[in-house]
Amino acid sequence: MKRMRLAVSVIAALVPAVVLAAPAHADPDVDFANELHTYGIYGQKDYNAWIGKIVCKRLYNGVDPDAYKSAEFISRNLQKGSTTEQSWQFLGAALRTYCPDKMPVLEQAAARQ
Amino acid sequence: MLIKVSVAAAAVSVAAVALPALASADSSDDYPIPNRILKTTCTVDQYMAAARDVEPVYYERYMIDYNNRPPDIQQGARDRIYWFFSLDYAGRRQYSEDTATNVYYEQMATHWGNWAKLFFNNKGVAARTTDVCAGYPPSDPSVWNW
Repeated sequence: MKRMRLAVSVIAALVPAVVLAAPAHADPDVDFANELHTYGIYGQKDYNAWIGKIVCKRLYNGVDPDAYKSAEFISRNLQKGSTTEQSWQFLGAALRTYCPDKMPVLEQAAARQ
Repeated sequence: MLIKVSVAAAAVSVAAVALPALASADSSDDYPIPNRILKTTCTVDQYMAAARDVEPVYYERYMIDYNNRPPDIQQGARDRIYWFFSLDYAGRRQYSEDTATNVYYEQMATHWGNWAKLFFNNKGVAARTTDVCAGYPPSDPSVWNW
């Protein structure tokens, strides 16, 4: 059951949110915050943007070797009470916004299910 | 008579307020260096690896600052923090006192004011990081490479 729920989370992270249809802003941090809002993730815009960019950095230099480690890192640094699903949604949004070339990491995690 | 007494009382209270001010430059067990840092048995590398995970934004900002320093200053800061962590509790406590009472005591600070910010400046960061630092490898040079 837990595995099943995780699989759903990974796939949810892959599907871009409806908000993408909204006009893109010059500031990607605003778009990122808007997408997070659709997942019920609030908190400080600048803080979330930092975490999103750091997620990418950790994937680039190998501190997080796969999407599972990324989701773990995010979960640790989101507001208390955030769900596993929200961590994966945050991850999907961060990759799409700040390092689209790392999207395959998420696809690999989905394929491993 | 009553006035005289109250004047005297006022004089006493003024003295009471003034006295602690004389000692204000002293360090305490939690200032300027947080107690957790005085007491932790973690290495510098363990502490930084933990900060990278649990205080990522604070760590990121410190490393941006670090990366903007010339190589000799970076080397100096690394050497100095490893030296500090090599001290035992008494040694760290003395160092805390020395830096609190003499602004020129820490030479590193004249080259880079925030050279130890990740370690000394924030009790919350020190607490959350020392909570988990023991779980990281004692030696991990990658923490300086960010």
